Amino acid sequence: MKLSIAAAASCIAIGLAWIEPAANAQLAVTIYNDNLALVQDKRDMDLTGGRQRLEFPGVSGEIRPETVSLSATGVTIVEQNFDFDLLTPAKLMEKAVGSTITIVRVNPATGGETREKAEVLATNNGVVLKIGNRIEVLRDDGLPVRVIFDQVPENLRSKPTLSVTINGDRRGEKPITLSYLTSGLGWKADYVALFDDATSKLDVQGWITLTNSSGTTYDNAKTTLVAGSPVRADQYRAQQYRPQPPRPQMPQAGTETGDRERLGDFYLYPLAERTTIANMQTKQVSFLDVHGVPAVHGYEFRNYWLGTQEDPVSAKTVYRFSTGSAKGLGDQLPAGILRFYIRDKQGDPQFIGESSIDHTPMGSTLSLSTGDAFDVKVKPVVEKRERLGLNRWRSSMKYSITNASPKAVTVTLQQDGLWGDTRVESESQPSARPNANMAEWQVSVPANGSAQITAVFNSAF
Amino acid sequence: MRYLRFSWLVISCLASPLVAQAQDIVASPPVDVSVTVYRDPYRDEGGFDLNYLGGFALITETRRVLLTPGNHNLRFEGVADGIEPASAIVTGLPSGVIEKNRDAMLLSPSALVQAAAGQEGRVSLTRTDPATGNTTRTQGTIRSGSDGGVVFEGPEGIEGLRCSGLPETFSFESPTTGLSATPTLSVRTRVAEPIEAIIQLSYLSRGFDWAADYVADRSGDGNIDLGGWITLANGNSVSFPNARVQVVAGELNRESGQVEPIDFGQPIFAQCWPRGSTSDSVPPSYLQFAKGLGDFDDAVVVTGSRVAMAMPAPPATESAAEAVTAIQEDLGDLKLYRMPERSTLSSRQAKQVRLLDRSEIPVLRVYESAFAANFDFDYEQMTFLLRTQNDDEHNLGLPLPSGRVQLFETVGQAPAEQRLLAGETTLRDLAIDEEIEFEFGGGPDVQVRQITENRQMSGPQAPLPLLPLIPLLPGINAGSRQMDLTSRIEVSNARPYPIEVEVSLWLEDGAQMVRADHAFGQKNGRPIFRLTVPADDTLIVRYQTSSRLR
Repeated sequence: MKLSIAAAASCIAIGLAWIEPAANAQLAVTIYNDNLALVQDKRDMDLTGGRQRLEFPGVSGEIRPETVSLSATGVTIVEQNFDFDLLTPAKLMEKAVGSTITIVRVNPATGGETREKAEVLATNNGVVLKIGNRIEVLRDDGLPVRVIFDQVPENLRSKPTLSVTINGDRRGEKPITLSYLTSGLGWKADYVALFDDATSKLDVQGWITLTNSSGTTYDNAKTTLVAGSPVRADQYRAQQYRPQPPRPQMPQAGTETGDRERLGDFYLYPLAERTTIANMQTKQVSFLDVHGVPAVHGYEFRNYWLGTQEDPVSAKTVYRFSTGSAKGLGDQLPAGILRFYIRDKQGDPQFIGESSIDHTPMGSTLSLSTGDAFDVKVKPVVEKRERLGLNRWRSSMKYSITNASPKAVTVTLQQDGLWGDTRVESESQPSARPNANMAEWQVSVPANGSAQITAVFNSAF
Repeated sequence: MRYLRFSWLVISCLASPLVAQAQDIVASPPVDVSVTVYRDPYRDEGGFDLNYLGGFALITETRRVLLTPGNHNLRFEGVADGIEPASAIVTGLPSGVIEKNRDAMLLSPSALVQAAAGQEGRVSLTRTDPATGNTTRTQGTIRSGSDGGVVFEGPEGIEGLRCSGLPETFSFESPTTGLSATPTLSVRTRVAEPIEAIIQLSYLSRGFDWAADYVADRSGDGNIDLGGWITLANGNSVSFPNARVQVVAGELNRESGQVEPIDFGQPIFAQCWPRGSTSDSVPPSYLQFAKGLGDFDDAVVVTGSRVAMAMPAPPATESAAEAVTAIQEDLGDLKLYRMPERSTLSSRQAKQVRLLDRSEIPVLRVYESAFAANFDFDYEQMTFLLRTQNDDEHNLGLPLPSGRVQLFETVGQAPAEQRLLAGETTLRDLAIDEEIEFEFGGGPDVQVRQITENRQMSGPQAPLPLLPLIPLLPGINAGSRQMDLTSRIEVSNARPYPIEVEVSLWLEDGAQMVRADHAFGQKNGRPIFRLTVPADDTLIVRYQTSSRLR
C-alpha cells in the first residue's frame, strides 16, 4: 500500500483504508439506454471508529462525482473528494518545487555515479535546481542525470480516485454501500431476423448489447438493463437527399402487457448470471428467440406533393409483422437495430439491410424497411397543371410502376401532401385515404411487367 | 478519454471468480470463409477511396473446436478489425451462448504498461550503462502509466521513465497478459458432454467497399460493346484465404452508428519534466518529409483474382471473352454477385472480377437540353447521350449495378488507329427493361440558345371595384389576364452529319404550349421537341405559350 504512506503523512489523525475489492464485494450495475448507469458497490469493511478516510480507486473513470452516496449504519459522512490530478513525471517535478530531491550524475565515460541533494526552485520551461550554494539548470549540458523523488505527493493519482471521509460510531466490520451514476456504460438491443421467402416466416433473435467505455471493469456484477432513457439524446445521422418522404415504422402501437419486471414505465432486463463487464468491451446476452413468425413482404412508395422523377425511383422493401403474443414475437422490444437476413441460393444467410426501432410495446405492428427494391420502381410525373381560378388548381398525376422481378408484386403507392380541401377528381383505380393528407393505392404489378395509375387532384395550391 | 488507459490495472488486479472458472479455449482458424461485400450506402455511383472504405461486409466463418464438459470462454481470434460486435451471430454450440464479448484492447506496449501499472514488483527497470554496456535490473512498480509519462518506483525512490538521458526500459514478469494479439470475439458457453463442435460465426465488418466499373466501346457502326468489372477492396488488416466472395448490389438501409474502434494501443510517451535549457532559442522550423519514397506502409496492393489475373484493369482493351464472370442471383429485393471460384481476399487489397461482357448493343445518339420556356439564354453546349434499352433485343437484359462508365472511341485508320477516352459518366441501379442513358458532356459543335420574340397581354383588365368579385367566380375569373409568349430555339450543328436533338421545356405552373412550328410530344409532364438537325446547319423552332395571370 504505497499510497497509504503518502496519504498518512498528510492525514495524520485520519486512518486510511484503500478499499480492495474483496471476495464479499457485491457489485450491482443498472444500465439505462442513454449512456447512463447506476453502480452499487456493497461490501463489508473494517472500520476504525471515529474519523476515517476511505478510498475507492476502482470506481468508474467517468463517474459523476456529484451523485456519489455512501450508506452504512452508524456512519456519517464528513466529506467526499474526487481526485483526478494524474501522476506524471512532469507533475511530480512540479509538486516538488521547494522540496529536496536526489540527483545522480552519471559519468558517460566511466559510468561512475555522483549523488547530490538538490532543492527544486522552479519548473517553468526547464527545471532550476539549487545544489548547495549553486544554481543549476537540470540537464542543461545534456549529460545523463537521474532524478529520484522520495515520495509521491498525496493528491497525485495513477487514476481518478474517490475518497470519502467518514465519522464512524465504533470499530468493527460493517456493510457499506457505495452508489453513484456514471456515463460510459450503455446498452441497446440488436435483433437478427432471418426471413424465409418461401414460407414468409421470420425467425427473430434478440440480443442485449452493452458497451463499456467508462475506463473501469465491473467485476462479477449483477447486471440489470432498463429499457428506457430518462433523458433521450438522438443519435446523429447524416442528412442525405431522399426521394421519398419519411415513413412511419409502427402503424399500430401494441396494447398487450408483457410479463417482464418493470421500473416505473420502463421494462427491466436482468441478466440471468453475474457477469464481468470489462473496460472497452462489447458484451451481448440473448433475451429473445422466436421462430416462424408470419411476416408480410411488401413494397411501398410515397410521393411528395407534385413530385416528378426524371428517372424511376426504387420502391422500398418493407417487412410487416406483429409483436403480439398471437402470431407475433410475443414480447416488448427494447430500442435497437433489427438486421434482416435472407438465404442465398447456396443456403447461406446474407444481410439485406437493417432498420432501427424504438421501444415497442407488445402487440404492436411493425412495418420496417430494409432498403430499396432493385427491380420494383416507380416513376411519378405531374402530367398537367391547370389553373382553375384565383386559388384553385387541377393537377394530373401519372405513376408508372415497373417490376423486373419474375413474380407479381403489390406496391403500396402513396401520394402525400393532400392538405386543405384537396380532393381526387378522378383516378384510374379507387384509392383509400389512410389519413386526410394522403391517397393510397394498392397496385398489382405482374411479373416482368408494369402498371400505371393516373389521378387528377383538385386543390387550392 | 484519457482514463481508459487505466483500465487494465483494474482488470488484472481483480480476477473474477467466474472468468477464472471458465476455461479459455481458442477455436481453430476458419476452415471456411465467406465474405459478402456491400457498397458504401452514402457513396454516389463513382469509385471509392482506398484510404477510406465506407462500405462493409458480412463475414461468415466456419471454425472447429473440441469442447470438454464445463464452462468455457471460447475465443475466435483474428476476426476483422472493423467488426461490428453487435452484429455477431454464433451458431453450432450445443448449449447455446451465455454471452458474447468483444474486447477492443489489443496487446501493445502501452497496454503492457497499463496492465502492469500499480502491481507490486511485477516489472523490472533495465538500465544500460552507456560507458561499460553493463545492464542493471531494478525490481519495482510502475506507479502510473498515463498519457503524460511513466512513473516508476524502485528501492531508491521514484523516477520518471527515460528522463535521465540513460537507456531505460521495462521487462515484464508475467508470461500471459490476457490480451489478444489480434481482434478477438469470445463467447461464454456451458457444455455437458465432450463434443467437437463446428461453429459458424458471422458478423458485419467495416472497412470494405465495392464498385462497378463499366467500359463502353463505340465502334464505327454506332453500336457499343459494354464490359464491366467488379472492384472490391478490403481495408482490414485481416486476410480471408480461399474465401467464397460475393458482392451485393442495391441500396439497403444502414442504421448502425459509431462502433467502438479496436484499440491498437497508443505509443508510450516517455514524457518528462520541462527540458528547457539556458541556450534555448526559437526552434528552427524544418521542412517535414512526412513520407519517404520507399514508404509503402499504407499502400494498397491491387491484384487480380485468380481467374481474372491475366485481365488488365479497366480501361481494358482486349476482349474479355475467356474471362469468367461473376454469377448473379436475386437476394430478396437485392442482387447478389458470386465470384465463380474461391479466392483469397488479402488484407489491404483490391480485387477485380468480370461483371459482364456484352457486344453489339445498338444505341441511339442524342443531343439533349432542358430549360425553362421563354427564358432567354445565349449559346450553350448540349449534353450528349447514348440511349438504349436494357433488354434482350439490345443484347442486354440484365441488372446493372450503379457505377462509373468510361466511353472509348477509336480514331484514325488502321494501323495508326487509336483507342481514346471519349467521356466518363455514371449509371444508377438499372433493372431489366429500363431505359439506359449514358450522359456525357457534349462538345462545342452542337449549341443551343433561346430568344423570346414577342410578349402579349390580352383579356380584360379588371377594373379595381370589381376585384372583390374574383374569388366568387371560380373558373371564370373575370379579372384574369392572359399572357402569350412566343420564343425561338436555335440549335446549331457543326458536325458533318445530321444529329438527333431533344429539347424539353419547363413550363411555369398553369402555362400551356399553344402552338409550335415543329411537332412536340410530352415527356415527364413537359413538352419535348424531338428534332433532326441537318449537317452543318442551324434549326429554328418557334413556339407560343399561354398562361393566365391572377
